[in-house]
Amino acid sequence: MNEWEIAAAVLGFALIPCGAIALLRDPPHGLAALELAGVLLTTILMLLAEGFHRQPFVDLAVVFAPLSLVGSLLYARLMERDL
Amino acid sequence: MSWQAVVALALLVAGGLLELIAVLGLCVMRDVYDRLHYVGVAGFGALLIGVAIVVRESFSLIGDKALLVGVILVITGPVLVQSTARSLLIRETGDWRSKVREHAES
Repeated sequence: MNEWEIAAAVLGFALIPCGAIALLRDPPHGLAALELAGVLLTTILMLLAEGFHRQPFVDLAVVFAPLSLVGSLLYARLMERDL
Repeated sequence: MSWQAVVALALLVAGGLLELIAVLGLCVMRDVYDRLHYVGVAGFGALLIGVAIVVRESFSLIGDKALLVGVILVITGPVLVQSTARSLLIRETGDWRSKVREHAES
C-alpha cells in the first residue's frame, strides 16, 4: 500500500462524519455535509488514480467535481422553500 | 528518495491535513453558516493534492487532470458556499437581504 492509497483510505474514513451529519441533523446541516463530502470524494478519486496509476479514476474526478457542484446548487435552490 | 518525492509527500500530507481539518470543523461547529466555511477550505486541500500529483508525475494525463480538478474545486468552492448561504437565508427569513440590512443598521 503506497502513500496515495493510505491518504485515500484516511479521507474515506473522513466521509463517515459527513454521512452521520447528513443523516442525523436538519436538512441545511446535511447540505453543508453533502458539499464537503463531494470535495472529499473528488479528492479520493484523484488519490486512487495516482495510487493505482489508473487514469479512469481521475476522469471520474473531472466529471464528478462539476456534477457535485451542480447537484449541491440544485439542492440549495430547492431548499429555499420548505419541501 | 528524490526531491520530487519529498515535495510531493509534503504537499500530500498538507492537503490531506487541510481536508481533515475541514471535516473536523464541520463536526465541531454548531451553526450551519459556520459549517459552510469549511467547504471552501477543503477545496484548497484538493488543490494541494493536485499539485503533489503534478510534482510527482510531471505534466502527465493524470497530473494535468488532477491539477484541473483542484483548480475547479478552489474556484467553485466560494461560489457554492455563497449560493448555499443565500438559499438558507431565504429559507429562514424569506429574503436574504434582511439579515444584511440588520448587520448594516447595528
